[in-house]
Amino acid sequence: MSKPSQDETRQSPYEKMLQECLSGELRVVNAGLPRSQKRLSNLLNEKYPHVICKDGSTHLFKKSELEYLASIIDADEQERLPLPMLIELGANQAEAAIICEGNVEEKVISKALNMSVTCEQRRIRVYKPQLALLRRKFKTTTVYVFSPKIVA
Amino acid sequence: MPELIKVRPTKIELVKLKRRLSLAQRVQKIVKDRLSILTMEFLQTARDTVEAKRKLLDELSKLYKALSIAVGYHGYIALEKELIATEADSEVTAGLRNIAGVRIPSFELMSNGKPMREYNMVDTSSWLDHSAQLSEECLKAIVELAELQRSFELLAMEINRTKRITNALEYIVIPRLQVTINYLNMKFEERDREEKARLKRVKVLVARG
Repeated sequence: MSKPSQDETRQSPYEKMLQECLSGELRVVNAGLPRSQKRLSNLLNEKYPHVICKDGSTHLFKKSELEYLASIIDADEQERLPLPMLIELGANQAEAAIICEGNVEEKVISKALNMSVTCEQRRIRVYKPQLALLRRKFKTTTVYVFSPKIVA
Repeated sequence: MPELIKVRPTKIELVKLKRRLSLAQRVQKIVKDRLSILTMEFLQTARDTVEAKRKLLDELSKLYKALSIAVGYHGYIALEKELIATEADSEVTAGLRNIAGVRIPSFELMSNGKPMREYNMVDTSSWLDHSAQLSEECLKAIVELAELQRSFELLAMEINRTKRITNALEYIVIPRLQVTINYLNMKFEERDREEKARLKRVKVLVARG
């Protein structure tokens, strides 16, 4: 039996370009993700509150936003709130999910949206109009995550 | 009608094309998601920009009124003399934030607690205090508007770029691949039919002996 030629097994330049485009897009959209999250209580004590992103750049928080967050939760919860909050965009285009560690995020989102939300499987599901509202209030304290599930 | 991609009509090429199509669809999906997020942010920024501009114009008009009253009360020369040595430093923190791959500037006017009023409070009137307070508000509004306006421009540019990619994928790359796949499928079916007809003909010839 004859072996397949090298050209057949190797990716064509066209496929390579598409593959690069895909990985490039994923890399670009997730470049703003923080390497690690910081607690609100720590950020409040920093002169220039910021986190380092995956691409090495800095993501600066607005003090006014941090102060607003501090005003809606108590001191104990401030120590448990990781920032920036991650908004995951999945396969369903109509909704997004806020990744949460505990019930602090639930409280923050509920107060910001002025409606009750529930955390299921470490995710708080919000719809696009609510997402716009949330982003308006928390411009620097929330970050989008493009989940690989989108392209799965 | 989309153009056909020039490929050899073989099964291997068909498999390759199908793989390419699935990859292109995945790219399209992520680019579309990004576009929808960017559009949402863009619309929000546009609304905020309009609001911030209106707010700034209101503040400026109030400030000019208050300042003209203060000038009328103190006299231009006396007021200038009072204000000439009262330059206050204001600090603006500038940084970046990332929205779906777009780096947006972030400005914030830092207030160190004390108001920017270092003139003699004894020799001046409350009209000047009012003007100073309004000017602080104006400064805040200017910084906010600067951030929003730049974000607006950057988001618009990125939306244009992303839209071009989406359109290229939606109207050129994917349709061409689909048409070529359809063409190859039809070609193979036709080949099968020809093969069957040829076999039947051979069978008849063999039977005639």
